[in-house]
Amino acid sequence: MRRATGKRAKQARVNTAVLSVLLLLLLASTLFPLYWMVATSLRGEASVMKTAVDLWPRSPSLRNYVDVLKSGPFARYFFNSIVVSAAVVLGNLLFASMVGYAIARRQFRGKRLVIVGIVSMLMVPRQIMMIPLYLLISKLHMMNTYFALTLPFLVDAFNVFLISQYVLSLPVELEEAARVDGASDMNIFFKIVLPLSRPALAVVAINTFLVNWNSFLYPLILTNTERMRTLPVGLALYSQGEHSVDWGHLTAGSTLCAVPIILVFLLFQRHIIEGITAGAVK
Amino acid sequence: MHKTRSTLIFLSPWLVSFAVFWAFPLIFSLVLSFLHFNPLRPDTTHVVWLSNFVKALQDPLFWKSLKNTLLFVAGTVPVTTLVAFFLAVAINQRIPFRTLYRSGFFIPSIVSVVVISIIFKQLYSPFGLVNKLAELLGSEPRSWLSEPRTALLCIMAMDVWASFGYYTILFLAGLQAIPLEVYEAARIDGSGFWGTLRFVTIPMVRPITLFIVVINTIRSFQVFIEIFVMTRGGPLNSTLTSVFYLYDRAFYRFEMGYASALAYLLFVVILCFSLVQMKYLKMGRAAGE
Repeated sequence: MRRATGKRAKQARVNTAVLSVLLLLLLASTLFPLYWMVATSLRGEASVMKTAVDLWPRSPSLRNYVDVLKSGPFARYFFNSIVVSAAVVLGNLLFASMVGYAIARRQFRGKRLVIVGIVSMLMVPRQIMMIPLYLLISKLHMMNTYFALTLPFLVDAFNVFLISQYVLSLPVELEEAARVDGASDMNIFFKIVLPLSRPALAVVAINTFLVNWNSFLYPLILTNTERMRTLPVGLALYSQGEHSVDWGHLTAGSTLCAVPIILVFLLFQRHIIEGITAGAVK
Repeated sequence: MHKTRSTLIFLSPWLVSFAVFWAFPLIFSLVLSFLHFNPLRPDTTHVVWLSNFVKALQDPLFWKSLKNTLLFVAGTVPVTTLVAFFLAVAINQRIPFRTLYRSGFFIPSIVSVVVISIIFKQLYSPFGLVNKLAELLGSEPRSWLSEPRTALLCIMAMDVWASFGYYTILFLAGLQAIPLEVYEAARIDGSGFWGTLRFVTIPMVRPITLFIVVINTIRSFQVFIEIFVMTRGGPLNSTLTSVFYLYDRAFYRFEMGYASALAYLLFVVILCFSLVQMKYLKMGRAAGE
């Protein structure tokens, strides 16, 4: 009997070891392309072709980064991406929570219609609207402005859904007590509901940042000047022309685009995973 | 009365955004699909009724792009789902480094697809690592992205790599929602690893599987950035996908009426697929119970 248990425990240890080795190998090969990007970006221009199989550049240098940031337009792209992402995040923090709060706490005529509208925004792919949105923005003379890159994205339906779910889970008594004490609606929203919703707001902020930083199709069609490109769009167009096999510069630009998002993920992964699974498990 | 007004204030951001950036474009694009409309030559605008739709159905490139898109969806969605499921089951075991796996596998899915596409364009290039590897295995170097037979497959492989981590996280959430007592009961009944997987785990994660398959299908139908960066639809239209074709017609040839009709057709296809999937997977659950 004891020998049988010992044998089973040993078997379990072997299984765990085999599984761990397999998973670590898989993880290494999953992350390898990103490692390769960084390694290529650190090579000097001349050695990119020659030593293409070196796993680590012999004389790492930041030349490619200096090039794309100084002579290339990447500093501007980076700045645009930061401005646009920050504006969209702030917009969603304020507007999506206002709407989410109203849906969670207020009874009003047409509420079901509003909910249907929000769900339909979640279901219909946005690509369908690229032509009318482009025409609308150009009719309003907003092409190549920060307005074009931010206004259509300030109230995301998923964020509204997330906030309203969260507010529903808060106790309503605090708000009622404040109302009895004579607090105005705005005061209740800003001084009670928003502070209590901080965990949900964190999820909204981080997920909105992730989505917006990588946004591509709309920034592509709503801008056509170098000065207004965001990082992904600028990078994609840079890779099309004369630089199409300029791997040193391309990987440096790619690293600039990837690093902020990976940092944000590593810092806030708990919130990010919460946000992703919130929609799924419900 | 006072409360109604403040409700309206709270709702106003959504009302404006819904009307201006959603309802209006949706209706406007339906109108456009009945027009001949080139924004560079507004004087030629005229109503063509259903001609754009008829033209699309007779357009070989429309069918080619739809076929490529369906191939892309049919090739990537099942593979991604299976990889993600088994990986989630593996990570859910009692093993060391679980948090490392959870975040590590997730990282590719948050990196911009533009970046992913540039990295893989280099890996697939004639002097790239994939060819070095092929040489080691004794096969001829190829120009992976310039051959019609391999280009789409290469992009599909890349897409699986870039997205399975995301769905792994979703599956893990589903697995962790399974009550431990269920596993306990299965163990007492003497069911082994595969038996438990077949009769406990798989039926229990069916709802999240439905969710994963539907969102992955919708997302894969919209494949665009990969094509834009890596092949621009070539070689010989072998990677021409629906959204890329729609973009090409609208923003290179400025046939915005025709492109709007293409957009609506694509929308109908996506909608049908999601409805069928929901129905099929739900029926599977009813049959399993």
